[in-house]
Amino acid sequence: MTAVATTPKRRLAGVKQALRPLPWIGPAVALIVAIVLWPVVVMVKTSFTNIASDGFSTGGAGWKNYHSLLQEPALGGVVVRTLLWVALVVGVTMVIALALAQLFNTRFPGRRIARSALIAPWAASVMVTALVFRWALDPNSGAINVVLHAFGIVHQMGSHQADWLGSPGTAMICMMGVAVFVSLPFSTYALLAGLQGIPDEVHEAARVDGAGRWRSYLSVTLPLLRPSLLVATLINIINVFNSFPIIWEMTRGGPGYSTSTSTTMMFILKQSWVGESAALSVANFVLVVIIALAFLRVTTKDGGLG
Amino acid sequence: MEAALTAAAAAIAVGGCGSSSSGGNGPVTLKLVAADYGTGPKNTSQKYWQSIATAFHRANPKITVKVTTINWNNFDNQVQTMVQNHQFPDITEGDYFSQYAQQGLLYPASQVLSNTGNLLPVFKSQGSYNNTQYGMPFTTSTRTLFYNKKLFAQAHISGPPTTWAQVQADAAKIKALGKIGFGLPLGPEEAQAEALLWFLGDGGGYMKGSNWTINSPQNAAALTFLKGMVNAGDTEPNPATKNRTTLWEQFAAGKIGMINGSPALLPIIKSGGSLGPKDWGSVPIAGKTGALNSTLGVCDNVAAFKQNGHQAAIKKFLDFAYQDKYQLQFVKEYQLLPATTSASNTLKSSPTYGSFFKALPKSVQYPSAPAWAQVKTQIQNQLGTALSGNPSKVLSSIQQVAQKS
Amino acid sequence: MSVTTASLSEARLRRQRTRRRISSTKLMLSVLAYGIAVLFILPYLEMAVAALRPASQLLAPNLLPSSLDFHNFTSIWSTGFGGNLVTSLLIAGGATVLVLAVAIPAAFYSARHRFRGRGVFLVLVLATQMFQPASMLVGIQREFLNFNVGSSTLELILINAGFNLAFAVWILNAYFASIPVELEEAAMLDGCSRLSALGRITLPLAAPGIVTALIFTFIAAWNEFMVALTFTLGQSSGRQPLTVAVNNYIGQYSIDWGHLFAGALIATVPVIILFALIEGRVVGGLTAGSVK
Repeated sequence: MTAVATTPKRRLAGVKQALRPLPWIGPAVALIVAIVLWPVVVMVKTSFTNIASDGFSTGGAGWKNYHSLLQEPALGGVVVRTLLWVALVVGVTMVIALALAQLFNTRFPGRRIARSALIAPWAASVMVTALVFRWALDPNSGAINVVLHAFGIVHQMGSHQADWLGSPGTAMICMMGVAVFVSLPFSTYALLAGLQGIPDEVHEAARVDGAGRWRSYLSVTLPLLRPSLLVATLINIINVFNSFPIIWEMTRGGPGYSTSTSTTMMFILKQSWVGESAALSVANFVLVVIIALAFLRVTTKDGGLG
Repeated sequence: MEAALTAAAAAIAVGGCGSSSSGGNGPVTLKLVAADYGTGPKNTSQKYWQSIATAFHRANPKITVKVTTINWNNFDNQVQTMVQNHQFPDITEGDYFSQYAQQGLLYPASQVLSNTGNLLPVFKSQGSYNNTQYGMPFTTSTRTLFYNKKLFAQAHISGPPTTWAQVQADAAKIKALGKIGFGLPLGPEEAQAEALLWFLGDGGGYMKGSNWTINSPQNAAALTFLKGMVNAGDTEPNPATKNRTTLWEQFAAGKIGMINGSPALLPIIKSGGSLGPKDWGSVPIAGKTGALNSTLGVCDNVAAFKQNGHQAAIKKFLDFAYQDKYQLQFVKEYQLLPATTSASNTLKSSPTYGSFFKALPKSVQYPSAPAWAQVKTQIQNQLGTALSGNPSKVLSSIQQVAQKS
Repeated sequence: MSVTTASLSEARLRRQRTRRRISSTKLMLSVLAYGIAVLFILPYLEMAVAALRPASQLLAPNLLPSSLDFHNFTSIWSTGFGGNLVTSLLIAGGATVLVLAVAIPAAFYSARHRFRGRGVFLVLVLATQMFQPASMLVGIQREFLNFNVGSSTLELILINAGFNLAFAVWILNAYFASIPVELEEAAMLDGCSRLSALGRITLPLAAPGIVTALIFTFIAAWNEFMVALTFTLGQSSGRQPLTVAVNNYIGQYSIDWGHLFAGALIATVPVIILFALIEGRVVGGLTAGSVK
């Protein structure tokens, strides 16, 4: 009898124990499940549905949407371009951000104002920044071309040469430049915060040991900066992968799919083939998870959140 | 009394369901969703439709029309989203989708407009599905060839071109002045229109009868001709990436010799400030061997959705909105053409619009097949690649999509 | 005597030279930093120039027009742009407050306690970071149709909060974990309750993390476009946030570049000011709380 009485009590205590985190993390979980996860479920479901171009579903599709996605002749090029886009944009961003963080960490008069200027590309919406660069790259009257023309690099305004966004190769380079530009503020600030967290004594100790400036940076600063570096890189990978407005506003991913990444391709497909577009969304998600995990695998031993 | 009724109607509008009692005599709220033809708040179509809705409400206090306008570039997408989510509007004005007729979502025109005979007959088949008209043209336009008379004079060209060969020769002369010879917008914004104008010049097109003819030899020949012009530098660089908005702006700034345009180019020329009224001309589109006598005619349609059951109220409103004065007000605001015979008759002798009207009755329309929506996006997205690749290959791949859809 | 004087002055000279060399390196560095700062602002200056171009010189191939026209900046207000500004402030401010209110307890608890499901929770957070609202528009919209919230502003607050929560939890979790638990325990020994220990000791120390989360959320919500476009459909134009209002200047036949860039500039400046104000606190907070 007593045994019967204590079991529920103990179970109750166990439930109580399990419920203790609820007031703390419950609201966060609720918000994430309701706003983010539920639409993901819809998206996965859509990828297995037949959807007419006017949006009416006409029953299940099995793997048909995935099948027709794999048959898109442009898909291979798009995937390669996406991987290059992510690797180059994030890589270049992080290298420049390391230098910028170091520079803006030194004390100089008016540092605060100069630092505030750094965040302009972050404060402006990416869409607007992309539009401004498109405006400045206009082959006939864009400011960048005007300057290049004055220096004799662009021989004639309005020419093929001045039409940087017109041919896929130069257009990709320009758009990568813009992507780096808008990713720099966040990355620099993340590293700046990391640098400020390193106590001065560490540098002094290194100096006492007779380490040169460059060596002390490599052997002392960089390892201590590792956590900030990892977090910033990971966030950049995810954001750059999902980046849509830059390509959309500057080239629409065209002509054809020749300047598309998988994110813009998904949007172009959505206009006519909703199911196939949803299939690409799912594939995109899998791809970004793989990239992120691979990155964590390579850079951390446990692969956890650190 | 009227105030009380207005308040009641407003209360229902705030209540939000929109699908209040259908027949009967109770107050009704109609949901009108229209494309915005303006550029920003100063000339938004919201004003135009609201003025009609207000006047209509004064005459019919029991019916309130709730006006929503959507930026043109988002219209298709947003209407599609509304339908997907079963938030059906009562009336839409803008692009028209024959799939909705196919799905049985729309009222036939005869049930929601008294005088369908007054709608311009040339657009009837485009708005029809299985020989019943669902889409009612509300505003129309045709394409003509615009040319810069100043540049033509500087290049010693005697008159506007009528054949492709002349277009190319004239474009080369204008290019020699350091300007762009021919503005060719084959970017994703409206490639389907520009391409069709060239296909027509060679006797090609998108459809013959009920068969897709996208990969016809005529179409391929037209693209091959364009490819030659592009390679010779007679157009702007990389036409596959250039859109109408940009090139029209440049034409208005006096930087382009020739470009295919519609009346909507007129206000842009005016606000550009570089070209006076005598500095440009507008003539029929050039064809392979002579000027086209049938150009592309485009219309935007009104469609009435069944789901909320507001047939009687919709009919009252559309009869009201299709009055000549509102048709002409739209023409004045956006420089497009009217869609009714009676309104057109009052403008036929106008020096500004005369040439466009002459072209209208013989104009060619986009296909009315339900698959057109998908084919259109495919053309917008892919056609430009023909200029750097193999035209017949690109056309074949689009043809395949059309037959598959 | 004279020798000592000579060597003394020599030493002084050498010291002076070193000081000058240090300050000249410093000078070079600050010039470099200013140059880079200008580079970062340049595109937005070009935006301002474009907005100030008279219509007739909009497409002129020069860096500066021959005259400036402030018309775009004055006429934009008569089109209800003030309402758009208020809506954007409500959405971004509301989302930021909601994110902080939800993220701080969750991040604190998961940093301090090993509970069952902690791993699942953190993976969930990491996973949501990988989604962008734009790619799940239809799903989000269907969901909100089922739960009629009634106000598009409120809907946008919830959505922006949901999609930005992950980063906030993540960054705060890291910050709380870096603050020694002993500090809280000491305060609790002094008679503080757990909550007031959190409020008095931990939160101030986590200020840099909180400010980072705040800025990140605010800016993301302020600049969000695709969801706002869909959810403010059918609203009076004053209920639309700035991003949507600016987009309305891209028309079917022409783009009103002047108003577009003027509006974009007006939308950007408040964020830069906000950041410039807070930036000092981040630095201060970082210096005060460099316990890590």
